Amino acid sequence: MIYFDNVSKVYSPTSIALEDVSFSIAPKEFVSIVGRSGAGKSTLLKLLLAEESPSSGSVFFESHNIHKLSRKELPFLRRKMGVVFQDYRLLPHRTAYENVAFALEAAGKSEDDIAHDVQQVLELVGLMDKAWHFPHELSGGEKQRAAIARALVVAPEVVIADEPTGNLDPMNTWEIVRLLEKINDLGTTVILATHDKEIINYLKRRVLTIEKGKLVRDEAEGRYVL
Amino acid sequence: MDRVTFGRIIKGGFVNFFRNGVVSLATVLVISLTMFMLGSVLVGGIFLNGVISNLEEKVDITAYFKLDTDERDILEVKSNLEKLPDVKGVVFVSRDEALNKFLERHKGDELYMKTIEIVGDNPFPASLEIQAVDPSRFEAISVFLESGRFQNLIDEKSPGIKNISYRLNQSVIDRLSVILRTIKLVGFGISLILALIALMVAYNTVRLAIYSSKDEISVMQLVGASRSFIRGPFLVEGVIHGVISALFTIVAFYPLLLWAGKRTAGIFGGIDIYGYYVSYIWQISFILLLVGIAIGVLSSALAMRRYLKV
Repeated sequence: MIYFDNVSKVYSPTSIALEDVSFSIAPKEFVSIVGRSGAGKSTLLKLLLAEESPSSGSVFFESHNIHKLSRKELPFLRRKMGVVFQDYRLLPHRTAYENVAFALEAAGKSEDDIAHDVQQVLELVGLMDKAWHFPHELSGGEKQRAAIARALVVAPEVVIADEPTGNLDPMNTWEIVRLLEKINDLGTTVILATHDKEIINYLKRRVLTIEKGKLVRDEAEGRYVL
Repeated sequence: MDRVTFGRIIKGGFVNFFRNGVVSLATVLVISLTMFMLGSVLVGGIFLNGVISNLEEKVDITAYFKLDTDERDILEVKSNLEKLPDVKGVVFVSRDEALNKFLERHKGDELYMKTIEIVGDNPFPASLEIQAVDPSRFEAISVFLESGRFQNLIDEKSPGIKNISYRLNQSVIDRLSVILRTIKLVGFGISLILALIALMVAYNTVRLAIYSSKDEISVMQLVGASRSFIRGPFLVEGVIHGVISALFTIVAFYPLLLWAGKRTAGIFGGIDIYGYYVSYIWQISFILLLVGIAIGVLSSALAMRRYLKV
């Protein structure tokens, strides 16, 4: 489903973010990407989202080389991916409900579909009672749940979470992790980048370990070893 | 683009406009200022043009006739003058008209009225006001009057000097005309530069407003919004900014021009700019609206290009 083929990303000769990384991810997998800050986790995800282009190598999503897609095709690819960031990145002038609805509006869904789907995902993440609050009126955990709802509402094939628990307290961290597990159980591929040892050891799923831009370990039931 | 999406884009523009209240207000004010500058350049140019052409019309030759001249003779001179290629027009002012003009001009002024009363008879000569095609042709016309067969009809200020009045003020008017043209040129240049600066400030204000949304724009792209779906609301917002600024400017010009019109009409006797503004209000509004929308939309479109790269 997702395939990285000898991908390198070089910002400058002294700053090599990724070096010859190859791996593939099958549908419905739950894959964690671990590594220290600056190891290249975020770069890898940015390449997958086509936010950045690789210096060499290619990234495939369902047989499409995503960096060869035109500007017009790119939004359609991104609607198959749900993204969650460490800093939530909600639209500040929209309520939680509108933030979730935005992804569907952009995809041209009808108002009835939007009303139905948004309510469903907000219930799934447990944010229905705060639906009409603006982001600045929500706590960190609530913001992240709104962001996950936004990622889920388009019924993506893969959810990409970049350090989603980085800014959260332990209680909220575990809620988010369980939510991601639930999403995976419902049949969606999940890619989770994190440096949280406890989460990795708890999940007991596939782990890709990145060190200084290189993929150093790929274990089916990995533990956090650095 | 289907209707639902179009509707969402329009709505998005309005929602952005109102939720970003302070930024919207600042943008509207700056665009208004820009349009105000542009409008002032336009109105100022029209006004100065009016003054100059008015002044040029004043540069005519007035030939005064002896008091006892027969009106028929004067009308003959008039028709002869009209045949000259240098002459644009001739207006006959009879003695009665001259008196009436004088009385009109000095209405309510005791001293003048008394003087006229004391003189008893009408002291004003009949005259011909001659407009030349070009001020440089005055000499030819006056030679025609002074040396032709009509020379004896024309009043003499002092023996040998005909009472032909352009000589009295031509040089003054010439100089004034040159000064006014220079003012017009320099003023126009300065206003144009100021207007350009204002335009750049407007663009930068819009750019800053959009810059503050650049994270939002990248998030919108990452959740799968197309470029036009993201850009649309910003352009709609630009239209709203433009329309409000135009209305603001149109209203602001009323008191300003009323004041300026009162001040300047007295000085030059030229066109009444307030009257001009009011009578052309629809055309001016249309132009201002167009300019406002153009500033708003183009600024947004240019500023957006930068942030739609992800």
